[in-house]
Amino acid sequence: MDNSTHNDPERLVQYLDGELQGSDKEKMEQQLAVDALLKQQYESLLLTRESIHYFGLKEKVAGLHSQMMKELAAPVAKLNPARRMLRYAASVAAAILLVAGLFFAYTFFTLSPDKIYSANYKRFELSTTRDGGAGETASEKAYRAGNYKEVVRIHDADEDHTPKGEFLCGVAALELNDNGKAIKCFNEVLDANKNTAEKILNDEAEYYLTLSYIRNQEYDKALSLMNKIKDDKEHVYHERVSGKLLRQVKMLTWR
Amino acid sequence: MEVIRNFPDSELVENLKSGQRMDESIKAIYRSHFESLCWYVMNNSGSRQDAEDIFQEVVVNFIDMVQKDKFRGESTIKTFLFSLNRYTWLNELKRRGRAMTREEKYERGQERVEMDTSHLIADREGKSEVLRIVGELGETCRKILLLFYYENMSMKEILDVTDYETEQVVRNKKYKCLKQLEQMIMERPFLKETLKNLLHG
Repeated sequence: MDNSTHNDPERLVQYLDGELQGSDKEKMEQQLAVDALLKQQYESLLLTRESIHYFGLKEKVAGLHSQMMKELAAPVAKLNPARRMLRYAASVAAAILLVAGLFFAYTFFTLSPDKIYSANYKRFELSTTRDGGAGETASEKAYRAGNYKEVVRIHDADEDHTPKGEFLCGVAALELNDNGKAIKCFNEVLDANKNTAEKILNDEAEYYLTLSYIRNQEYDKALSLMNKIKDDKEHVYHERVSGKLLRQVKMLTWR
Repeated sequence: MEVIRNFPDSELVENLKSGQRMDESIKAIYRSHFESLCWYVMNNSGSRQDAEDIFQEVVVNFIDMVQKDKFRGESTIKTFLFSLNRYTWLNELKRRGRAMTREEKYERGQERVEMDTSHLIADREGKSEVLRIVGELGETCRKILLLFYYENMSMKEILDVTDYETEQVVRNKKYKCLKQLEQMIMERPFLKETLKNLLHG
C-alpha cells in the first residue's frame, strides 16, 4: 500500500474537486480501489461536500420562499368545524349508500325464480283420517305415497275431477317440475269454486298457483294473485305473502 | 416587471438538474403547487405557518432528488410533490404527538425511549442539524465553500468576488474550511448517516 496519499490529503481534495488529470487521476482511483482507509477519507469528504450542497440548496429556496409567500399571501380556505362535520357526515352517508347499493346489486343479480320458489314452497300435507285411509280416494292415496305421476294420471284419465283431485294434481305437477300442468290444475280448482258456495281448497290453490306462475316466469300474473292474497286478511296464506316476497317478484320483472 | 412563466414538467426537471433558470423554476413550483399542498396541511390539523414550512422543506427535498436523478418522471411533479408533502406532514404530526407523549410520560416519571417510527423523523432532524453545523462555520468559510461547491464557481471567479489577493490564497483557505467542516461533521456520527442518506438515498 502506498501511504503517500494519506500523508497528502490535499491531493485527495484535488481529486474530489476534479482537479487531478491523466495518470494522477488514474493512480488515485487505483489506490481508492484497494485502500480502505483512503476510501474512508474520501467518503468523509464526499459527505462534507454534500452538507455544503444541501445548505446551499436550502438557502436558495429559503431566499425565494419569503418572496413567494408575499406573492401568494391570499388566504387558503380552511374548512370550518361545521363544514368539516358536514363533510364527515356526507362521507358516512356516502359509505352507507355504497354498502346499501352493493347489497341491493348483490340481491338483484343473485335473485332467481327458482330461489324464490324454493324459499316459499312447502309440500301440501293431507290431513290424517281416522279410518286409516279406507275412505281416501285413489288420488289421495297416490299423493300420500308420493306417487305424483299416478296422481296426474288419475286426473288426466278423468277418474277424479273433484276440486281436491284437481288440487292434488297441481301440487303433484309442481313436484314433477311441470309448471304448465300445475297452472292448469290449480286454475281448474278456482274455476270449479266460482259457482259454488263452498270454496274447497280455494286459498291453497291461489297460493300454489302464485308459486307456479313465479317458477314459470309469469310475474305479472303472480303479482296480481299475490296482491289479492295480501289484501285479504282472512286468506289462509295472507301471512305468507310478505312485503319482501312482493319486492323480490317485482325485482324479477325488471330483469 | 417580472415575467411569470409556467414550465412543462420535463422542462422544469431539466432546469432544476442543470441549474439553468433555477429561480424561475422554483417560483413556478410555488405558484403551481403551494395552494393545494397548503390546503392539505391546513385541513389536517396544521396552521398556515406549518403549511409554509412543510412546503419549503418539500421543495428543497424535491430539487435535491431531481439533481440526484431520484425523480425519474414516473409520476407527475404534482403527484410527487403531494406525496412528499403528505409524508413530511404526517411525520411532523407523529413527531409532535411523540413529543407530547414524552412530556406526559416524563410528568408521570415513566419516560421510556420509543423506537417506533423515529427513524423516519430522525432523518428530518438530522437534516436540520446539518444546516445548523454548516451555519456554525465562520461566514468567510461558508461563503467560499458555497461559491465553490454549490455555485460551482472557479477559483478565479471566487477571487473576483472576494478580497483575497491570489487564487492560491483562496485555494488554501477553501481547503482549510473544508477540513474544518469535515472535522465538525465527523465529531457527530449520527450526521454521517443523514448525509449518507442524502448522498446515496
